[in-house]
Amino acid sequence: MEYLEYVKLALGAVLVYNFVLARFLGICPFLGVSKRLGTALGMSGAVIFVMTIACAITAAINQYLLNFRWGEKRFDLTFLQILIFILVIAALVQIIEIVLQKISPVLYRALGIYLPLITTNCAVLGSATLGAQMQYSVFKSTLFGFFSGVGFALALVLFSSLRERLELADIPRPFQGTAIALITAGILAMVFIGFSGLC
Amino acid sequence: MNTLEAAVLLMGVTGGILGVVIALAARFFRVAHDPRVELLIELLPNANCGGCGKAGCADLARAIVAGEAKPSDCPVSSREAIASMSSLLGIDPGVAEKKVAVVRCNGDALHTKVAVNYNGVSDCASAALVGGGPKSCNYGCLGLSSCARACPFGAIEMLKNLAVVHPELCVGCGKCVSVCPRGLITLVPASAQVHVYCNSPARAAVKRKNCASPCLGCRKCERQSPDSFEVVNNLARVKYSSGTLPTPELVEAIGCPTKCLRSVSGHLEQERKEAHE
Amino acid sequence: MSDSYKCPVRTFGRGIHPANDGKSLSRELPVRRAPLLENYFVALPQNIGAPPSWVVKVGDEVKKGQLLATPGGKVSSAIHAPTSGKVAEFLETPGPTGAMVSTLKLTADGKDEWTELPPPLDWKTASREELLQRIADCGVIGMGGAAFPTQIKLAPPPNCKIDFLVLNGAECEPYLTADHRLMLEQPERVLTGAAIASKILGNPRTLIGVEDNKRDAIDRLNRFAGEYGVEVLVLEARYPQGSEKQLIYALTGRRVPEGALPAAAGCVVQNVATAAAIADAVCEGKPLIERIVTVSGEALMHPENLLLRIGTPVLEAVRLCGGIREEPGKLLLGGPMMGFAQKNFDGMVWKNTSGILLLPPRLCVQYESTGCLRCGRCMEVCPMNLVPCSLASAAESGKMDLALQNNVLDCLECGACAYACPAHRPLVQHIRRAKAEIRKMKKK
Repeated sequence: MEYLEYVKLALGAVLVYNFVLARFLGICPFLGVSKRLGTALGMSGAVIFVMTIACAITAAINQYLLNFRWGEKRFDLTFLQILIFILVIAALVQIIEIVLQKISPVLYRALGIYLPLITTNCAVLGSATLGAQMQYSVFKSTLFGFFSGVGFALALVLFSSLRERLELADIPRPFQGTAIALITAGILAMVFIGFSGLC
Repeated sequence: MNTLEAAVLLMGVTGGILGVVIALAARFFRVAHDPRVELLIELLPNANCGGCGKAGCADLARAIVAGEAKPSDCPVSSREAIASMSSLLGIDPGVAEKKVAVVRCNGDALHTKVAVNYNGVSDCASAALVGGGPKSCNYGCLGLSSCARACPFGAIEMLKNLAVVHPELCVGCGKCVSVCPRGLITLVPASAQVHVYCNSPARAAVKRKNCASPCLGCRKCERQSPDSFEVVNNLARVKYSSGTLPTPELVEAIGCPTKCLRSVSGHLEQERKEAHE
Repeated sequence: MSDSYKCPVRTFGRGIHPANDGKSLSRELPVRRAPLLENYFVALPQNIGAPPSWVVKVGDEVKKGQLLATPGGKVSSAIHAPTSGKVAEFLETPGPTGAMVSTLKLTADGKDEWTELPPPLDWKTASREELLQRIADCGVIGMGGAAFPTQIKLAPPPNCKIDFLVLNGAECEPYLTADHRLMLEQPERVLTGAAIASKILGNPRTLIGVEDNKRDAIDRLNRFAGEYGVEVLVLEARYPQGSEKQLIYALTGRRVPEGALPAAAGCVVQNVATAAAIADAVCEGKPLIERIVTVSGEALMHPENLLLRIGTPVLEAVRLCGGIREEPGKLLLGGPMMGFAQKNFDGMVWKNTSGILLLPPRLCVQYESTGCLRCGRCMEVCPMNLVPCSLASAAESGKMDLALQNNVLDCLECGACAYACPAHRPLVQHIRRAKAEIRKMKKK
């Protein structure tokens, strides 16, 4: 029944403990890049990509570097977790940015200032630390990162579609813009509470 | 080796490796990047009004650096800002006269009859499609404030169903020009202090029936100052391109019989007064 | 028999049936020829497409039926003098939609003398080209409202095989009875025109569709239809039955492809009034200078069906009907669903003016429109299967590309959605603006 565990992991990451709508991590890009479905899709792709790789690498670091042995001596360096995770993720995003700028300038321009934002994105760091906390293996942690990214993408795509629809609506003046977006996000989060207890 | 040493070693080695990787990536995936673009973006107003015809200030900055546009294409920037942009690029600033919009109509609700009870969409372009709009004059301001909504700088005020431009707020981006279905709004040199506030090419008798202060094409202004005015199609025009722009004093001296030849300040004052009546 | 011909469906899907069809005001009244007036105001262009150009100047003496303006291109139509008299002046006046048009003021000399007309053609022996040329020379255009030059409509592209000529006698607009009276009083003129059009198109099946609220006209047409090889079919009284695509579907079961002309579905549609004008042009050489106009509405003293010359001022038409009974709430050129609201009585009769309506204030309730309820009633009635509420809200928030994606250009502007909307939203006005702006963008 190994695969059932993976199903649970996926369901949990995408729906039940959705990073944006249940854990409330990564709200900044959630509000910032959700005006157009197109940019939301680009951002989602970037986040899935970064999260998967970040989780894989941080899991490896957590398993092999933070508990390494020197002869007879065992060093417990778990206190370095956050420091080294930030270091690795920041470097990773930097590299992706450089590569993206060369390979796909269109996507680079569409993501604009949001790509550097992933550097210090709590959702990415959160998925890495959560994976470490749960003592996932490298493979499982990679899966966890991927599905967390998918959960983020789901929330972002849903929300950007809603916002595109909202632009056609006749919204009372005080609620226009960010106000109605936040209300919508709140309602969407309440909807996701409905998934709790699923796994 | 104690824990402290191990921690320092770990962080140092990891940081070093990542640094080398980034350096390599930056080298192999290098994109030619012009630092002047960033500097220009800082100098531009960043209102992203689109007055230059480009998609926002960053786009204009790229075009300027690429030589496809001039700093003076930005209608919003002050002369000083354009000069500093030009000196940054080492080019001639070029002479771009500051322009402002003017609504060539004085047909507020007191002057022009509202001919019908219009109950449709409150938008000029929509109203113009229904029997030529609610007012009796088919050429004048519709008074449904489409231009005021389009103005990113809040320079257009609606006074008794008439759009009036505040020249000190107007930056001449021309957004209002494109939304007016009547083509009433034009960009004129900011130094011009006098305008003909009428745009109807109809015959004088028709205009008189529809409006209290139309331009009747009587040629009084043209006779007194042929250098500054011309009458084409029953309608007087200020010759904006000629060297001699009329002054408010000249307007006083001419004494337009219908008072549709006004100075900018006089127009504002007059319409304000009428709005409070 | 063509195999694509299915058993005739006598109505289309959706649409509405207005509760007050107002036809009883004028349906029993025979057509009366209006007396000669002092002045006529002939506007240019009368047709859709390229505007014609004037060939007379101020001070010219013209005879009745003389050419005033010659076609300015292929899709254009000639204009003729409605009576004999003198060209007084050229004016700029607002047309029915409010757009400014060039107008010729013709002062009648009272003699009403005909100019030398081209000789009558025997349509049974004349060639197709001769007939088309005659129709073009006589300035015949679609009199149902579209004002498309008839000679173009009768010469579809050669790659389209025409299987049906459909005559539109539906007259689905409330209040209007002009076509009804025409079919009732002069069925042979209509049928002759139909036979001529049919001959030009290579003798396709010729159908004439009449709504079932005009049983007398159906009986009258049926008496003569056999001689001319025309079939009279009964349609359900439903709006917009008289719209080209809906009529074709109701009578032939064919669907006109999206964005295409009816010729793509093997059909050509002509209004019955246009057919009568074709008959006049061919058999008598008479240009199109007069038409039947329903002058009606509860605010009018004596509603009537008048035979008015093109260029008759609206004010004179109202006077001929005894003036107004009460201050009208709305003056419309055309029917109440698709007609153009007017600001004053300064308008004039055009070749496609089928009605002049004066509605009393009690029928012109000033609704306060509210937000869209998403009830979907506009979708239920839209004859083109569009979603009017989302088209309108896209237009309202300036998203013309979204409106275009949702096929806003297919809208007929029939007004069924606005009629059905419980929130009284000005759906058609929003859609018209979107269409106007999209056309403007496409031109650029």
